[in-house]
Amino acid sequence: MRRTNRPTGLASRIGTAAVWTVVAADLLLVLWILLTSLRSGPDILRHGFGLPTSPQTSNYTTALDEGGFARAALNSVLTAGLSSVVAVSLAAPCAYALARRRSRTASALTTAFAMGLGVPGQVLVVPLFVGLSRVGLTDSDLGLGLVYVGLAMPFTVFLLTGFFRGIPGVLEEAAVLDGAGPLRTFVLVVLPVARGGLVTAFLLQFVTAWNETLFALVLTNSQGTVTLPVALSSFVAAQQFNGLDFGTMFAGVCIILAPMIALFSWMGSRIIQGMTVGIGK
Amino acid sequence: MATTIEDPLRTGAARGRSERAARAGVGPLERQRRRVFWPFAAPALLVYAVLFVAPVGYALWTSLHRWDGMGGMDWRGLQNYTLLFRDPRFRTSLFNTLELMVVGGTITFVLSFALTLVLREMRARLFARSVLFFPSLVNGMVFGIAAGFLFSPTGPVNRALELFGVTTPPKWLATDNLLPMVLGTLVWTATGYYTSIIMAAVDQIPDHLYEAAELDGAGPFQRFRHVTLPCAWDVIAVCAVLWTVSSVKIFELILLYGGSTNAYPPVSSWNTAVYVYTEAFPQGTVPRLGTATAAAIVSLAMVTLITVVLRRLLRREPIEY
Repeated sequence: MRRTNRPTGLASRIGTAAVWTVVAADLLLVLWILLTSLRSGPDILRHGFGLPTSPQTSNYTTALDEGGFARAALNSVLTAGLSSVVAVSLAAPCAYALARRRSRTASALTTAFAMGLGVPGQVLVVPLFVGLSRVGLTDSDLGLGLVYVGLAMPFTVFLLTGFFRGIPGVLEEAAVLDGAGPLRTFVLVVLPVARGGLVTAFLLQFVTAWNETLFALVLTNSQGTVTLPVALSSFVAAQQFNGLDFGTMFAGVCIILAPMIALFSWMGSRIIQGMTVGIGK
Repeated sequence: MATTIEDPLRTGAARGRSERAARAGVGPLERQRRRVFWPFAAPALLVYAVLFVAPVGYALWTSLHRWDGMGGMDWRGLQNYTLLFRDPRFRTSLFNTLELMVVGGTITFVLSFALTLVLREMRARLFARSVLFFPSLVNGMVFGIAAGFLFSPTGPVNRALELFGVTTPPKWLATDNLLPMVLGTLVWTATGYYTSIIMAAVDQIPDHLYEAAELDGAGPFQRFRHVTLPCAWDVIAVCAVLWTVSSVKIFELILLYGGSTNAYPPVSSWNTAVYVYTEAFPQGTVPRLGTATAAAIVSLAMVTLITVVLRRLLRREPIEY
C-alpha cells in the first residue's frame, strides 16, 4: 500500500510546487508592475527588475495630467458604476418574475436571455455605433453607458434568475397572506433577502464594464469622454512618437489595475462565487 | 417532487372547467405573480430588445449590403460573404480564432483539471485559488503591455536567459510569434478562472464518495476519473460552452499585444473581432460596414454551431448526489 502511494505522492508534490510557482509568478507580476510604476523611465530601461531607488510619484502625476488618466478614471467610474446600477435594477424584477412564474412564456423568455450570452460583442458594435450616431450619442458616456446596460442584460438576468430560484417562496406567501401588494412584497421582502445576489451581480457587471475596451474605443474618443482602457491604448499608441516612457505607462496600467485589486481583496470571495456558482446553475 | 408534477396538471384541468375554479386553485400568490409578470419583466425586455436583439438583426441586414456608413446602402445579397472568404486577411483571422478556441481550450482545460486535482488536496487552497483567479479581472491590454516590455529584445526575460547561457533567445515578439504568445497569455489567464469554476463544483461533491473510492483502492487519477469527472460533468459542459463564446470575444489582448508600433497589430495575429474592428473603423480609408458585419455574423454562426454541437456531445444524464 505504502509503495503504491509513493509515486503519486511525488506527483502531487510536483503538482503542488507547480501551483505555487504560478501563484508566485502572478503575485510577482503585479508587484513588479506596481514597483515599476514608481521608477523613472531611464532607470527601468537599465534594469527591468529592480526596486525604486527613490520612489517617485511623478509617473502618476504625468499619467493623470498629460496622459488624461484623471478624467478617464472619473469617466470609467461613472460609466461603469451607473450602468451597472441601472442594469441590476432593470434585471432584478425581470429575473424575479422569470424565476417565479412557471409558464411557457416565462421559460421562452429565460431562454431568449440566455441565448444572448452567446453573442460576441463584435456582432453588435457596428449596429450600435450606427444607431447611437443617429441619435447623437456617439462620443458620449451616456451612449456608452446605455450600451453597457444592454450588453449586461443576458448575463445579469441569467445570474439573478438562478439566484431568485434559490430563495424559498415561503416569505412571499406570508407577505401576500398579510395583504402586501406585489411591489411591496418584492421591495420589502424579496430584495433584502436577495441583497447578496444583487451585490454580486453589480460587482461582476462593474468589473466587466471597467475593463470593456471594444465599445469604449468605438464610442468614445475625445478627452472628456474616454474611459481608462481607451486612455491607456491611446497613450501606448502615442509612445511611438514621444519615445517610450515605461514609467508613465506602468502608472497608467496601475490606475486601471488598482481598483480591481482593491475590489478583489475586499470582495474577492463574492466575485469568485458569483462567477463560478452563478455560472454552474 | 410529486407535488410539483401534479400541480400544473391540476390547475390546467381546473382552468378547463371554470374561471372561478381556476382562481381558487392557484391561490393568491400565484395570481399575484401572474399579474405582475409583465410589469416586472417589461423594462429589461425592452432594453434587451432595443439594445441587443434589434442590433443583431440590423447586423444581419447590413451584412447583405455594401455600405460605408454615410451614403445609401446598396443591396449585395450574399456577395459580402463570398468576398469575405476570398479575403486572405479574413481567412487568417478565422483560422486564428479557431486556433485560440481549440488549441487554447484544450490546453486550458487539461491544465485546469490538473490544477483541480492538485488544489483539492492542497493547503492554503483558497488563497492559491484567489491568486490564480485574479488575472481574469485584468484588462487584456495590461498583459500585452507587460509582455511588450518583458519580452523586448533587450528586456528582462532575455537578460535572464543570458544568465543561463542562452545567447540567441527566440524573437518573442516577431510577427510570426505573436499568436503563440497571445495563446500562452490567454491560457495563463483563463486557467485560473476555469479552475475556480470547476473547483466550486468539486467542492459540492460529498467527501464520502472520495473516501469510498479510496477504500476501494483508487489512486488520485482514478478518483478524478471516476468521482470528480462524472459528478462535475454538468459544470464542465457549461465551461466548455463558456470557453467557446469567450474565446471568440477576445479583442483587447490581441489589439495591444507587445505594444505593437502600428495602429493595428499585424494581420497574422488577428482574430475575427479584430478583423471586424479594422473593417468597420479603419484609419484613413472608407469603412466597409457590409463585410465587417458579415464577418461578425460568420463568427456568431460559428459560435452557435459549435455551442449546439458541444451541448449535444457533452449531454449526459444528471447524477444525483
